[in-house]
Amino acid sequence: MARRRLLIASATTLPLLLTTTGCRSAGLFAGPDPLGPPPPLAHSTVVLETVIADEVALISLYESAAPGGSGVLAALLAEHRDHLARLRSRLVVPAGSSRRPHVATPRPAAVRPSVSRLRAAEQRSASSLVRRLSTVSVEPALAQLLASIAASDASHDAELGAL
Amino acid sequence: MQVLQALQALQAALAAEDAAIYGYGVAGAHLSGSQQATAQQYWTSHREARDALTDMITARDATPVAALAYYDLPVTVTDTATAATLAATLEDGVTAAYLGMVAVASRRLRQYGALAMQDCAVRAAYWRGSTAAFPGLPLPRSERPVVPVAG
Repeated sequence: MARRRLLIASATTLPLLLTTTGCRSAGLFAGPDPLGPPPPLAHSTVVLETVIADEVALISLYESAAPGGSGVLAALLAEHRDHLARLRSRLVVPAGSSRRPHVATPRPAAVRPSVSRLRAAEQRSASSLVRRLSTVSVEPALAQLLASIAASDASHDAELGAL
Repeated sequence: MQVLQALQALQAALAAEDAAIYGYGVAGAHLSGSQQATAQQYWTSHREARDALTDMITARDATPVAALAYYDLPVTVTDTATAATLAATLEDGVTAAYLGMVAVASRRLRQYGALAMQDCAVRAAYWRGSTAAFPGLPLPRSERPVVPVAG
């Protein structure tokens, strides 16, 4: 019993002891340094955060363009909401990461966006997604999701062009 | 290993393009007017994509998969509506094939596959009359159509 207590105490007090004696625990243990800063977010997580923020902005634009919620614009808006839901479901930020995901809430557009403005936003989104997924450090499954969303955005652009 | 994956993805895309070229030939015969002109234009796009993929495979010292003489098409074409359905289904197939290219560890191939997916998604939306939220991706389990089981 006394031995177990001693072991538990060692696990919690050793890092403190190492600090006070000027030692780095990473030099003694194989794993991440428990005294070091939280690990940075993986590149895929950073990309995902950015893409989520862009998708939120696009949804806000559509909501301003089609406040009534019907017709083609409403259908495209629904697909953007599907994109956002799927992207958010992939966002897992490990505990102790150096920063938390921040997704800004865009302000609604003061003037109702025109169809040409929506088309420009769709084109920008598709291009941006392809640029991001082309980075090989983005994991393959995420790259495929981004490619699929980019393809959807490209088809939205074509659909808007037919209006 | 990475070279092999890239080659497999290229061969899969080439096979899908070959199937689309064949299928558009069948669909086009049941279309007329502007729809037939569009089918002709899309058929040409698929042939150009096929040629580009063939070059990419050959440049990797590999032999491109040969097109089949006959394809068992997923839709029986009898009229304009079924021709459009076939064309949309063919585009879905090619989109899914290019999705494989997006997963390989090559910046250039990822970009190529993603841009090709966009072309396919636009063409599929034309034939279907509506867009899709996730072109090329398999539907989540909750959204798959329920297929009745004979009891």
